[in-house]
Amino acid sequence: MPSIANGLRSNGAWAGAALVAAAAVAPLALNEYYQSFLLQVFLVIALAQAWNLISGMTGYVSFGHSAFFGLGAYAGALFLTWGFPWWLAVFHGAVVAAVLSLPLGMLTLRLRGPYFAIAMLGLNEIGRIVATLWVDLTNGGSGITLAPSLLPSLEMEYFTTLMLALGATLLVAFIHRNRFGLELRAIREDEEAAEMVGVNTTLNKVVAFVLSAVIPGAVGAVSVMYTSFINPNSAFAHTRNVEMIVVVLFGGSGTVWGPIVGAAIIMILREMLWAEFPEVHLALLGVLLVVVVLYLPGGIVSLARRDRRRRPDIAKAGETPP
Amino acid sequence: MELLEPDILLQLLIGGLLAGALYALLACGLNLVFGVMRVINLAHAELMLIGAFGSYVLYAAFGIHPLISLFLIVPVMFVAGYYFQRVLIERVVGRPMLDSLLATYGVAIILINIGLLVFTADFKSVPVLQGSFAIGDIPISEPRAVAGLISVALTVGVYLFLERTRLGKAIRAVSEHAQVASICGIDVRKIRMLAFGLASAMAAAAGVMLSVIYSFWPGSGIDFIQKCFAIIIIGGMGNFVGAFYGGVLLGVVESFVGAFVSTQWGEAMAYLLLVAVLLIRPTGLKGAARA
Repeated sequence: MPSIANGLRSNGAWAGAALVAAAAVAPLALNEYYQSFLLQVFLVIALAQAWNLISGMTGYVSFGHSAFFGLGAYAGALFLTWGFPWWLAVFHGAVVAAVLSLPLGMLTLRLRGPYFAIAMLGLNEIGRIVATLWVDLTNGGSGITLAPSLLPSLEMEYFTTLMLALGATLLVAFIHRNRFGLELRAIREDEEAAEMVGVNTTLNKVVAFVLSAVIPGAVGAVSVMYTSFINPNSAFAHTRNVEMIVVVLFGGSGTVWGPIVGAAIIMILREMLWAEFPEVHLALLGVLLVVVVLYLPGGIVSLARRDRRRRPDIAKAGETPP
Repeated sequence: MELLEPDILLQLLIGGLLAGALYALLACGLNLVFGVMRVINLAHAELMLIGAFGSYVLYAAFGIHPLISLFLIVPVMFVAGYYFQRVLIERVVGRPMLDSLLATYGVAIILINIGLLVFTADFKSVPVLQGSFAIGDIPISEPRAVAGLISVALTVGVYLFLERTRLGKAIRAVSEHAQVASICGIDVRKIRMLAFGLASAMAAAAGVMLSVIYSFWPGSGIDFIQKCFAIIIIGGMGNFVGAFYGGVLLGVVESFVGAFVSTQWGEAMAYLLLVAVLLIRPTGLKGAARA
């Protein structure tokens, strides 16, 4: 296995390029069902990479990132109905998520590990409550249906989501290699030590947080165009957090390939085995999460690594109990 | 303006205290587990819902009154929690806190979705106690009074157990300092199992009480776990008595905000209080330095 793994790693960029090329020409050969399926895989990859960026890299586990998806989804739907072209609506989804994530990150990231996790847990609920109560803007619980004439074609949505997945992955890969990524990982390993050697921990965390909110913002906007309907429950769905977290941890958190591998395996399993039973799907994701945390903290990707014994990546921000 | 009449204020206060007692029972269990093993159990509210659905099933299938099912469900959940600690939670004790958060999050997801498969997403309730009585001029809802008083009784009972008995003392000792307790000859692993069993039993009891006053569905847990977090952060993480006062305080605040502003804002108070406290004191209000 190690030799294959090393081959994959040194040729990772080539493997990635080949995958992207295949995905780019795929619509020529695939019918709508498979295009839709791949589109959803891309959405999950993009979301998972966003979560990976803040939680995988810094160890600050967010249980509330679906809130940014919901924000982006509403922004996308509203800008579309206000007459903006679809791509500008997607752009606005990202901008709205970024603008709101900045103050939010500056407030919540003062909290250390577990406290940050607890504070983020309620964020999605707050989003849902606001979307339900602000009827003038969001049409409340009845939601907004988007007119088909406003929407881009399935091919356009396909390529947009592909670009988002690719962009998110490249962002993670880029950060992984430069000083910023190193500093984020230093925060994860030991925040106080990082601070002492001169890492501006607050700035780093907030930048990572905003970047990780921009992606779900854009993804939410595209997603609402794909489903052409939005209401508070579909936009602020807690299950989306579950998916992000499990995909990243299962694949391998803090790595570039982990979220891709995790998303591919979990989405294929969902489609093939339990598409009919969403509860079964989620319950099994829960089982997967428990098993991965207990027995495979490095995720699937770590199986292919030589240094799999080393406990990598997630969950270092919390203090060890006495 | 008629809201400001003393009778109304007193009624809101009593309503808040009774609701707060239920929160307190729930949050004390969560804090007990945190105190003893430094594990934040994200599935605590789902343990509560097991109690609530247990009460529902026993009532719907056999017509058993919730106050009787309390005596069936609580012991069962104690045993279940005791072994659940042994099988799963014990493995994340001593690991970084985020491991236990993620593992118990997984457990919560499993329980919620099994609940959805079995009971669907419809709201359930156990409408046995209805009506109200009056003390002076103040009307009090009967189910709320029963649930609130039983919750207080149970919380005080557990408190006395912790304070007065040898076993309770051992639990507190492990909570203070696990290593020293272990050196003193306390079987720390057993104590952890006992503590988790106790917390599960308290959660289940809170669930049975909940079933009498609210309607609930398998996804109700998130609201309650949010409240619990607000409570234990206000009362101090790991602090049993603090959680009791925190619970009562949250109940009263919700009651007043719900009446004077709106019920939605009342519900949002838990989160706003939580965030406010965390921002003022990033490690919680009191006794949280060791958390």
